Amino acid sequence: MQPLRFLKTAILLLFVLVFVVWTLFPIAWMVLSSFKPNNALFAFPPKFIFTPTGDHYAGLFTGSSNFAGYIQNSVIAAVSSTVISIILGTAAGYGLARSHFRGKADLSFWIISTRMAPIAAVILPLYLFYSKLHLLNTLLGLVIAYLTFSLPFAIWLMNAFFVDLPIALEEAAKVDGASKWQSFVHIVLPLSAPGVVTTAILCFIFAWNDYAFATTFGGPGSQTIPIAAAQLMTQSGIDWGKLMAIGTVTVLPMIFFGMAVRRWLVRGLTLGAVK
Amino acid sequence: MKTEPHRPAALPYASDPERPVPDVRRKGDAPLRRYRFEFMMMLPALLLLAAISLFPFVYLIWMSLNTVSLAGGLGFTFVGLDNWLQLFSDPQVGQSWKISLIYFACTVGTELVLGIVVALALHALHFGRHLVLSLVLMPIFIAPSIAGLLGYFLVDPVYGFYGWVLRTLGIFSGNLLGTASSAMPTLILIDVWQWTPLIILIVSAGLASLPEDVMEAAKIDGATYFQRLFRIVLPLLAPIILIALLIRSMDAIRFFDAIALTTNGGPADTTKVVAIRLYETAFRFFHLGYAAAIGLTMLIFTIVIAKVFLRALSGRELTN
Repeated sequence: MQPLRFLKTAILLLFVLVFVVWTLFPIAWMVLSSFKPNNALFAFPPKFIFTPTGDHYAGLFTGSSNFAGYIQNSVIAAVSSTVISIILGTAAGYGLARSHFRGKADLSFWIISTRMAPIAAVILPLYLFYSKLHLLNTLLGLVIAYLTFSLPFAIWLMNAFFVDLPIALEEAAKVDGASKWQSFVHIVLPLSAPGVVTTAILCFIFAWNDYAFATTFGGPGSQTIPIAAAQLMTQSGIDWGKLMAIGTVTVLPMIFFGMAVRRWLVRGLTLGAVK
Repeated sequence: MKTEPHRPAALPYASDPERPVPDVRRKGDAPLRRYRFEFMMMLPALLLLAAISLFPFVYLIWMSLNTVSLAGGLGFTFVGLDNWLQLFSDPQVGQSWKISLIYFACTVGTELVLGIVVALALHALHFGRHLVLSLVLMPIFIAPSIAGLLGYFLVDPVYGFYGWVLRTLGIFSGNLLGTASSAMPTLILIDVWQWTPLIILIVSAGLASLPEDVMEAAKIDGATYFQRLFRIVLPLLAPIILIALLIRSMDAIRFFDAIALTTNGGPADTTKVVAIRLYETAFRFFHLGYAAAIGLTMLIFTIVIAKVFLRALSGRELTN
């Protein structure tokens, strides 16, 4: 019986190991490649030992490429849309969680269906609005586009966090003479800080990772990092070293942010459906 | 006795019998007065959301009833249901829907099965479970566009690591993304790589909430692992698996970044999913009205899934 048990454990560990390698290898390869000198980048069999170089990163900020500008655009668009979504979404999520009225289910459905709407369907009317209102090629246009998915997401997720908060605390505050606003600011908000942070980080990641809106509405004035990556792609002869450097810069901060809210990720990524 | 392994969090849609709504409404105490503060809190967000979603939605419907021209200023020519009639007899759009559904079924199906298997394997680990789970979550945070580019790099026939492995093993030496028969499977694998971790995350949460006593009882009664798995664990996990399925489904239709950046629908239209077809119709051929009709069909598809999702959350009728 004992050897069989050992064999089972070994197979289990091997399976998990294979899956972990399959999942992490591409990320590791990307980071590794971004530090490889060109001769090592394209050497076969692939080199795992090499003298690392920062050339690809340096190349992003020198010469004709203006990568700093792309980063700036990405940060501004993602931060602005996140801040607006969080402020409005927290307030609305709370209002929704603490009120009861006819049609509430329909209202909730409308909010969630906005979040799920295919980007391709939203892009068409926005494109025409923007061309009329001269919002193409502006960061404001991108911020508005990002709000179409981050605002309903924030309302919905914050609502899920608030619904879980025991109402007894607010009732006690009311007895003590606090107004609804006071109990929201002094009791509810501090208690739901993890929810706010999780929602904010996920809104930020979604906006930061967007390619569809940025490529459609973007121009020289509003290009974000994924656009910079895509532009390297279309040139004849792809500069893979640079591309992997851009990939690393785009991806690593998001992994870091995501891991920071690891405990609340299941809730966030399932729109609050799973605790 | 029925056990409830996982109760979906109480959402506005959900009716939770254990947490009664404190409804002390008196006669004549209208919600508008009673919840004045709450409504004021909701108002700014809802107004903004209406402006950026309801208005474009109505506009999209109107677009689909017109021929929209951009040259020389925006121009609408009302054509009634012409775009819609064309849509339902267009073999190319039909083909794209077919490709989309295949992509959808293969990605979501593979992710679901693989995700459940890995989650079960992790659950059986006696050590390092949380560390491994955290590690494999990483792809979730990667921009789908970058995931596509990374996949492109890895399978490149000349420079790619996976390309080299396949070549060395004598399996395949061509361009995986440039060959009609292999482009779609490769894109599916990129998606599976990125999103299986999400299923693992969700199913792991479900496994962690399984009632210990039931599992112990089954063990003592002599049930084998697979008996327990198929008779107890999977049925108890059904609601949570459904949620994972729906979450994945919605995003599978939304995203097109990875495909747009790698094959952009080619080779020979074998990867031209509906989203790519729409984008091309609108921004390459500038048939904006027709593209609007395609967009609306995608929207309808999503709304149906959203309805099912909310039903899964609110009622437990699906699991009982």
